[in-house]
Amino acid sequence: MGLNGKISAVLIMVIFTLSLLSPYIVSYDPDSIDLDSLKEPPTMKHFLGTDNKGRDILSRVLYGGRISISIAVLAALISMVTGLLIGLLSGYYGGKLDTFFMALVDLILAFPSLLLAIGVSVIFPPGMYTVMIALSAVGWASFARLIRGQVISLRESTFVEAAKAIGCSNNRILLVHILPQCIPLAFVMTGLKLGGYILAEAGLSFLGLGAQPPTATWGSMISANRVFISSAPWMVLSPGILIAITALSFNVLGDDLREKYAIQKNGRML
Amino acid sequence: MKIYVFKKIVLLFPLLFGITLITFTLTNALPGDPVYSMVGERASLQTIEKIRKEIGADKGAVRQYLGYVSLLLTGEMGRSYYTNRKVLDEIAAKFPNTLELAAGAMGIAVPFGILLGLVSAIKKNSISDKLITVFSITGLSVPVFWSGLVLMLFFSLKLKLLPPSGTGNLRYLLLPALTLSLPALASVVRVTRVSVLEVMDMPFVRTARAKGIKEISINMVHILRNVLLPVVTVTGLEFGSYLNGAVLTETIFGWDGIGRFTMEGIMKRDYPVIMGCILAGTLIFVLINLLVDVTYYYIDPRVRVDGTER
Repeated sequence: MGLNGKISAVLIMVIFTLSLLSPYIVSYDPDSIDLDSLKEPPTMKHFLGTDNKGRDILSRVLYGGRISISIAVLAALISMVTGLLIGLLSGYYGGKLDTFFMALVDLILAFPSLLLAIGVSVIFPPGMYTVMIALSAVGWASFARLIRGQVISLRESTFVEAAKAIGCSNNRILLVHILPQCIPLAFVMTGLKLGGYILAEAGLSFLGLGAQPPTATWGSMISANRVFISSAPWMVLSPGILIAITALSFNVLGDDLREKYAIQKNGRML
Repeated sequence: MKIYVFKKIVLLFPLLFGITLITFTLTNALPGDPVYSMVGERASLQTIEKIRKEIGADKGAVRQYLGYVSLLLTGEMGRSYYTNRKVLDEIAAKFPNTLELAAGAMGIAVPFGILLGLVSAIKKNSISDKLITVFSITGLSVPVFWSGLVLMLFFSLKLKLLPPSGTGNLRYLLLPALTLSLPALASVVRVTRVSVLEVMDMPFVRTARAKGIKEISINMVHILRNVLLPVVTVTGLEFGSYLNGAVLTETIFGWDGIGRFTMEGIMKRDYPVIMGCILAGTLIFVLINLLVDVTYYYIDPRVRVDGTER
């Protein structure tokens, strides 16, 4: 791993830890309203200032990060597992199953991703799970396509032939011989895409499809506070900077992984 | 040529079938009556009954789907729950604005992207290369709705150079177009850099150099031509992200396009509007991709040989 990759990995760890441990770090409740300190600029008392309801921005940003990051990571993992499963079946068995799944994949990739995610989210009442479902419903397709390609090339390899020759069942070949060969690729791909998931989660929460007020997420904080951009810019700046740093770290890390594993970048995800 | 384009157009039909199938499924999965979602709640009872019959809401799923498509074919995407105006008319009215915004963004992203990418590759590993690389990866990581707000804060609210929001002439267009162009610019830079580096050491460039052709015309003629194809590809792919980004950018800048229309639809849970916008956006996206495919044909003669190579 290159230096840039290492720095990003460290940054990601720091942001993750801060967000996960937020209840132990910040002394303010993220949702508690304090009418005595409305829209205060950053001070020693409130490091990142307060918002229009006097809530501590640092607390909200960290608590919000917990939700935003968890949703993005979980959605990426769900996409990965779904993509892995479908890619394995599709690549190994081929035939009609393959045609069907790949047509579905092509179809999903034919939509502008955010629009499709919006379409999926409006079916459900807005909330964290909705965003997660929407991101996974759109995101699995590119995983499935990549894994399928890998499985097709593995299917023809000698060790699979050998396994067949000694009478291994299809399930055994898939699970014991092929799956382990796909897992590193799947994880690298997840790493590549996490930056996109972070941005997409922020976008959907910005549109009001994510966790509902008063719960904070990075996207919804920007959306709720944008009317105050002129009078209290700190309310908007800090969540945005955190989104950017997180996505940036994932993207740099992704570049590093891509160079290492030489994966072709086929377009941008989400 | 004709056969190539014809093939691409034929392939469009199964795709359209699939897209309408997905939007149909989504429409049916929406809370409430799908017929209401399609025609709007203010439609009269008779109309609703009529449409219910037309789409065969009481019949099987296949009939319903056929009904949905035939309604779409007559240009019926339903009416907004709130304004009772036809969604299709609204989209048609707002589309030119979105197109203007996308064209503006593309007008910034493509030339500057190619330029920066070229500089970055020619001066590989120099300070400027590193700065450009940092700039481009940042551009990919900053959410457009935030960079838009920051640009607005500086250029409109602090420096008071440009209007903060609204639809109108070039002064209004500049900030949203710049915002929307940032991620696209970043990917054009990256793609250009990689392809220039790839081409730079090829024999034909060496030959050109050996013949004593000036460095600048090598860059401009020999290398740039080979960079165009990936740039067209990425611009075509980016068009999807223009549509994605337009939803966010237009909302921030109050640009009266399809994106903001979508956002308003979401806020009010105006389902016909949301579904209409998704369908329209996807159709535009698919058509642009077709256009990109056809453009390849002109830029790269290699595509003409087997019609599949990219």
